[in-house]
Amino acid sequence: MLEQDDQLKEFYWYIDILQNVDVGLAVLDKEYNIQLWNGFMENHSGHHPNSTKDQNIFELFSEIDEARFRSKAESVFLLQSSAFSSWEQRPYLFKFKTYRPITCTAPHMYQNTTIIPLVSTTGEVNHICIIVYDVTEEAMYKLRQEKPQAMSA
Amino acid sequence: MATPVLICDDSNMARKQCARSLPDGWPVDVSFATNGEEGVEAIKEGKAELLLLDLNMPVMDGYEVLEAIRAQDLETMVVVISGDIQPEARSRVKQLGAIDFIKKPVDKEKLTGMLLEYGIIDAELMKAVEETVAPEPKPEKKAAEKKAAPKELPASANDSVPSELDPLLRDCLQELSNVAMGQAGDMLARLLKVFVELPIPNVNLIEVSELCMAFASVEDFHETSGVCQGFIGSGISGEALLILNDSSFGDMAALLNYKGQLDDSAELEVLMDISNILVGAYLKGLAEQLDLHFSRGAPVVLGQHCDVTQLLETKNQAWNRTLAIELSYAIEDYPIKCDLLLFFTEDSIPHLTHHASYLLDD
Repeated sequence: MLEQDDQLKEFYWYIDILQNVDVGLAVLDKEYNIQLWNGFMENHSGHHPNSTKDQNIFELFSEIDEARFRSKAESVFLLQSSAFSSWEQRPYLFKFKTYRPITCTAPHMYQNTTIIPLVSTTGEVNHICIIVYDVTEEAMYKLRQEKPQAMSA
Repeated sequence: MATPVLICDDSNMARKQCARSLPDGWPVDVSFATNGEEGVEAIKEGKAELLLLDLNMPVMDGYEVLEAIRAQDLETMVVVISGDIQPEARSRVKQLGAIDFIKKPVDKEKLTGMLLEYGIIDAELMKAVEETVAPEPKPEKKAAEKKAAPKELPASANDSVPSELDPLLRDCLQELSNVAMGQAGDMLARLLKVFVELPIPNVNLIEVSELCMAFASVEDFHETSGVCQGFIGSGISGEALLILNDSSFGDMAALLNYKGQLDDSAELEVLMDISNILVGAYLKGLAEQLDLHFSRGAPVVLGQHCDVTQLLETKNQAWNRTLAIELSYAIEDYPIKCDLLLFFTEDSIPHLTHHASYLLDD
């Protein structure tokens, strides 16, 4: 009984952490419909989890290059192995605006993204999770180093 | 006979909130004063058998009103209603003759309970009133209505931003900031074991290009260090900047019990600690009052030992204007100067207005 209470407590901790962590988490099914949407995704996209549940991600976010994303995600479903994308190769997956009006010069949030397979109890991968990291500061720093003249223009 | 009650507060929203918190069915004759000077005049005119007094006001603050009441031997009972929740503030106003202290935003039940306790209202009377007056709508219901409000946010609402800040919104933000700042000040006071002097929040819609000129205190800030942290939630986004005058580091480090040499990295530690407390408590207080939740990004060091204009220098072309809130904290008996600046993006304004409207509804 006590052990169950502890497990329940831990479960709530996990929920709280996932909801508040400064990283975006979105779970998709095989049809690319959104199944889970954490606080980061809600706050940066302006879409409440209730309004994203079962919505197709390509319909909701037209900025996503569907063909490329599908080919990447299919490999995760098939190979049951994670896939990565860096801001240098693709500045963002979701076009989120910069939220610091004064001290941030970026036109949008730069993102690294990881897609991980979620293995079901029967060993199949029917869902994937997109993990979105905000790397704007790092990207701006690197871009400033590389082409200072372009940045000041 | 109706009891003359005077509500003395510089915020229109706070005066309304306070008037609404008076017990139902209590026969009162309510007057309002917008600063201490008007308040003292009204007391002299006999409008204040009970005075509900704010502390943080322009012209003449609450402490000065209490002193004037004592010096001139004016007849009134004073309950202080303030966002400044430092234990020290509470004991100071009691020493100055206030019968009690209630924190903002005013809790109706608490105020009623207190008035009963001091015999200002009659328990028998309240019982009779309770039986005749229909109960108020349950707060749960209100929360449910709030949840039902449309959550879908427009991607860009720039078009609907007026060129001037609506006075109602300004007043509301000033009052919300007042309460949030009080909570932040209380945390700082507890941590440093000092009395924090709270300013009147300065709320303005300003051109980003004129940012530096917009701050009155900026001229004193030539050697500064600053850190900023972004926040976003429910369509509202912006950043909080904490700017500390370099001359404050010595005292601040001593108050925080830092041992050893105060080099750049130790100063940064101090700056981060103070910013965590002030930014965290302010944003928590603001979000709670507006019934929303912010995600906060990692803090970013803007610079150490530079002119404040360098810290605030902006190359961002995305925003023309920003809604700015300036809070200048000072610490009693120490030459510490510390500015908390909040900048909201222009497209946050309609969403702020929307959330604030729940508080402004009568």
